[in-house]
Amino acid sequence: MFGIDAANSPENEVDDAMIEVQDLYKRYHGPFGGDWVLKDVNFTIPQGVSVGLVGRNGAGKSTLLKLLARMDMPDKGRIITDSKISWPIGLKGGFQGSMTGRQNVKFVARIHGGDDRMHQIIDSVQDFAEIGKAFDQPVKTYSSGMKSRLAFGLSLAFDFDVYISDEATAVGDTAFKEKAKKAFRDRVGKSSLIMVSHSVGILKDLCQAGIWLHKGQAIWYDKLTDALKDYEKSISK
Amino acid sequence: MKERSSLQVTLHVWHALFMREATARMSGDRLGWTWMLLEPIAHISIMIAVREFMGRIRFIPGADFIPFLIVGIMGFFVFRDAANRSMLAINSNSGLFAYRQVHPVDTIIVRSALEGTLKTIVFVLMVLGAAFLGMQIIPSDPLKVMVCWLVLWLLGFGLGLIFSVIATLVQEAEKVIRMLMFPLYFLSGVIIPVQFMPYSVQQYLLYNPIMHSIESMRYGFFQSYRSIEGIELLYPISFALVMICLGLMLQIRLKMKLMTQ
Repeated sequence: MFGIDAANSPENEVDDAMIEVQDLYKRYHGPFGGDWVLKDVNFTIPQGVSVGLVGRNGAGKSTLLKLLARMDMPDKGRIITDSKISWPIGLKGGFQGSMTGRQNVKFVARIHGGDDRMHQIIDSVQDFAEIGKAFDQPVKTYSSGMKSRLAFGLSLAFDFDVYISDEATAVGDTAFKEKAKKAFRDRVGKSSLIMVSHSVGILKDLCQAGIWLHKGQAIWYDKLTDALKDYEKSISK
Repeated sequence: MKERSSLQVTLHVWHALFMREATARMSGDRLGWTWMLLEPIAHISIMIAVREFMGRIRFIPGADFIPFLIVGIMGFFVFRDAANRSMLAINSNSGLFAYRQVHPVDTIIVRSALEGTLKTIVFVLMVLGAAFLGMQIIPSDPLKVMVCWLVLWLLGFGLGLIFSVIATLVQEAEKVIRMLMFPLYFLSGVIIPVQFMPYSVQQYLLYNPIMHSIESMRYGFFQSYRSIEGIELLYPISFALVMICLGLMLQIRLKMKLMTQ
């Protein structure tokens, strides 16, 4: 049986592995068929290491993140982890437009069993998002930047072992970008980060290790700079 | 965050979804609550008018016409709306599956539950209102009425589970299913009493579980009501349970497809 095993699987022998990915295959079926997006991907992320994912457009970075966040199932292979992994940071799809920011935050807090610390969660989101009175207005009236602020704040209101970020720092104005980066930096040591970003600066700033996705394969680098080097070499050709 | 058992997680998700759906329903359009009560009243009024102006006034054995109509229409509505609303539950909540605690089937369970709750409130209000106006509508066997009401809701929920899979995977199916609800309305004895149908037609109508539930519910309301031979409650109950099992099986089997659709 393939799929995603939570804790206590017998294969999970390596103690310092945070996430272990084994023989991962993924392709999208549909009217246009599809080649393997990920083909026999294997890697192990050690405990407490933040990873930057690099690769050209369409290399499967977002697909891999979705699989890690368990939003999708691999066709073959497994992801073994007993860490709490976030949903992709800054995800806006879950917002109900006719409901206010506060109501949307309450919803997410409730599904995470945060009923008893609702105030704390709401306060922390409000503090981060800094959208003022709009917090009590329907989300459909928000600009995309405001939505991003709300979504980002929401992700940070919960304590995860691993945060997943798919270009979450690319949206919003400069002030927001700085704030987002700072929020990530504050969490170094407590949580890890797996991120996709086309901004080399942010990657170098926040991640130690790297994964280069190339032709459906994932190549692990203990040092992010090596991954970036190989990636840049491949596109300059 | 503390560890939660699977059951706790599910209960939290249902609670959250229920509050979300309820707020969205209430604040969605300006009429919200009013419309919920007004729609069935308008519907029933029109049907009464149609009968007064066009139909021959027919005698229904053991029941007054208006109470007969109220029970039939509300019974059909709780079934129809539970099924129709659930059908769209997955599509309209697809953004939520990013939170891995939320499964497609949760959205259907919660929507049907909300729809059932709202329809129950409306039904109770209508029965009380009609009784206040002096109609003979106080149930003679309340327990039977409640069971029949529950069965109608279960039928809607069961079909909703199945319809939602079909409508999510094949978008066009939604329109066809909605269209099929219309003839079903006439074949369930909602406005046209089945007693007045030809015998040969009645034999086919007996295959319709909704007709069985509605007629049984009328038996619960009106002590001297006489429907056709062969009405029983066990048939719609079994039908509903089979649909629910089948629906849940489809939901488990096709979960990933439904989520990523």
